[in-house]
Amino acid sequence: MTLSLRYLVFSCLLLPAGAAVGQGHEGHTMHHHPPADSAEVTWRMPPMDPSMPMMPGIEKEIPVVAPFLPAASMAKSALPTARERAIVELADGDTLRMEAAMVTKTIAGKTLTMYGYNGQIPGPLIRVDQASKIFVQFVNNIELPTTVHWHGLRLDNRFDGVPGVTQDPVNRGETFLYELTFPDAGLYWYHPHIREDIQQDLGLYGNMLVDAIEPEYYSPANREEVLVLDDILIDALGPIPYGRESPTHTLMGRFGNVMLVNGNPNHSMQFRTGDVARFFLTNVANARTFNVTFAGYPMKVVGSDVSRFEREEWVESIPIGPAERYIVEVRFDRPGDVAMTNSIMAINHFMGEFYPHVDTLSVIQVLDTPSDVDYSASFQTLREHHAVIEDIDVFRPLFDKPVDIHLELGLRARGLPVSIMMAMEIDTLYVPPMEWNDAMPMMNWLATGEQVEWIIRDLDSGDENMGIDWTFSLGDVVKMRIFNDPHTLHPMNHPIHIHGQRFLVLEMDGVVNRNMVWKDTAIVPVGSTMEILVEMSNPGTWMMHCHIAEHLHAGMMLGFTVTDDSTN
Amino acid sequence: MKKFALIGMVLLCGWSPDPAIETDEMDEASCVSTDPPVYYAIDLVSTRKLPGTRLASGTVDMTFQASPFGIAVGSGGHYRYNLNGRIEKMKPPREGVYVVWLSTPDLDQVHLVGPLGATMTFEGAVDWQKFLVIVTLEKSFDPAQTRWQGPVALRGLSRSGMMHTMAGHGPFQSEPCAFFGYK
Repeated sequence: MTLSLRYLVFSCLLLPAGAAVGQGHEGHTMHHHPPADSAEVTWRMPPMDPSMPMMPGIEKEIPVVAPFLPAASMAKSALPTARERAIVELADGDTLRMEAAMVTKTIAGKTLTMYGYNGQIPGPLIRVDQASKIFVQFVNNIELPTTVHWHGLRLDNRFDGVPGVTQDPVNRGETFLYELTFPDAGLYWYHPHIREDIQQDLGLYGNMLVDAIEPEYYSPANREEVLVLDDILIDALGPIPYGRESPTHTLMGRFGNVMLVNGNPNHSMQFRTGDVARFFLTNVANARTFNVTFAGYPMKVVGSDVSRFEREEWVESIPIGPAERYIVEVRFDRPGDVAMTNSIMAINHFMGEFYPHVDTLSVIQVLDTPSDVDYSASFQTLREHHAVIEDIDVFRPLFDKPVDIHLELGLRARGLPVSIMMAMEIDTLYVPPMEWNDAMPMMNWLATGEQVEWIIRDLDSGDENMGIDWTFSLGDVVKMRIFNDPHTLHPMNHPIHIHGQRFLVLEMDGVVNRNMVWKDTAIVPVGSTMEILVEMSNPGTWMMHCHIAEHLHAGMMLGFTVTDDSTN
Repeated sequence: MKKFALIGMVLLCGWSPDPAIETDEMDEASCVSTDPPVYYAIDLVSTRKLPGTRLASGTVDMTFQASPFGIAVGSGGHYRYNLNGRIEKMKPPREGVYVVWLSTPDLDQVHLVGPLGATMTFEGAVDWQKFLVIVTLEKSFDPAQTRWQGPVALRGLSRSGMMHTMAGHGPFQSEPCAFFGYK
């Protein structure tokens, strides 16, 4: 496919009527910008630590793609203000009308043009019973074509929301009727599957909370909180523009500089002393892995993507990669004003050092008032989830089966500024297992999907990305070994997501996993080898990809088919 | 039919299946293994100061400690690793005992791992971001000892120790080191 043809495809997909394409680079000095409401979109350099020096030779560089911002030609005053998420409880057979539309939202004192489902950021929290079926009448009213992917659901393939595979894109003004089924209890989420780096980043995400059939599925709690973790990259003029033809920030993904919980940069919660709170956490950030802490209050992890753990465990923090979910319970056993934080050891590549970095995600006030009901005894008990253990027992004889598929993760680059290539080569003296912060914002910003290709390679066939075309039979149990090559030009951790199926992480780097949970997304750190066991339980053509939005759109995806031989 | 659908999806996601590759940084020879990551393994290098250590060398494998999250980090974001070391071609000491230590690179904190086993192996754990592994010859093993007193037989640096300041070097050579505290 030629560049011009690819541009044509994207022009059709992304070019909003009347939006002008700016070519100037004025970001470094932050002067001479058009007014915030101007239709003109120009590149602005992303904000970065002022102590971080500019690499010689790239001061005047801009991404090789055109800048894009939503609704650039529309006055913000014409758009509704985003509302807080509403909880929508649906019974079997119910239908929800859901519209993607433009909204405004004020973040860090700036009114931004964003997207929302039903005018909400996050979108409606859909609460349903396990084994129920609902319908979502989706309407697209944003200027970009879109779809809705129902992340983690083992649903009918026709409704998985992947453009060109399970459905056509839903253009502005068009509708699509999704039929959703919920075979598994727990926490799931929905988001677009076209240019997530733009659409999801600007607010198109929401949760589904599936109540279990099994009684006492969770321990009793005083409160339940469904929290969506996110970040957004903005400066004094609003969001840093996105790449029109393909994403910017394709090396590390687009890290934000403002943390959001349920779309709110000033999120807060209040509890009573002794309260046991169950938190349902989802990371919808494009690239950031959070390390969530609750000020040292006792905490245990209960569940993750598609099930509970075999056994509950005490934990200090919750490292949660893009698209992952964790269910944790916290007991606020003493009063105080504290914070839910993202606590990481960040990297300063220039100084060659790690340094502690803490973001406040939510301000927590624990009142002196005691809880209404004391659940401390049940909280102190680490439960074994026998239903999960028995479910996994069926697969345990297969844990030692030979590896069916060997995958390797890597990167190719072409056409990047020479100084960036040089810096990356120097940088590979040490690459960390995880990138917790954007330690090279300028280089990252300049690397677009036109220059960077992230790769999943099938080592057995030599095929890569969408050249891979596996076929499995319904009921197959497939062992995959995934190696994240540390010797590629710019290695990075990858949260690998498999659509429509569930899998177990058997081991990492030879260390056997002794407490399993059904997953749909798992982080493969740099240099690590992860073995997973995938139950091919759902027929159709599905995707497997990195859930860092910019990596996905820089090629890091493949397709596979599960055939139902009984119907042939 | 499915092929066409997949290609359609690729186009929609903005990726061409046949890019003209100029730089292929994927290592064709990369081997896949369930062993600990070779990349983060620490080489132990002999000081050659002690009898029986001239040819000695060692390797320390690093793996994440057991964690429900796969990766293991603490509440401050520090990685938590298990260490598994083995030393080759080193003779047992004529007297005394080889003892394994961990230290921060500037030696301000020292952690006693324990005596080197008869099979010249050891196990330990660490939550420092950069650290040294040091094997010393002590007169005897004292679990209360807080810092080594004998000579160093082997030492190694975590891979993270190679993350070195670029102030005044490489692509940042136009930056004055002193400005950033490096003189």
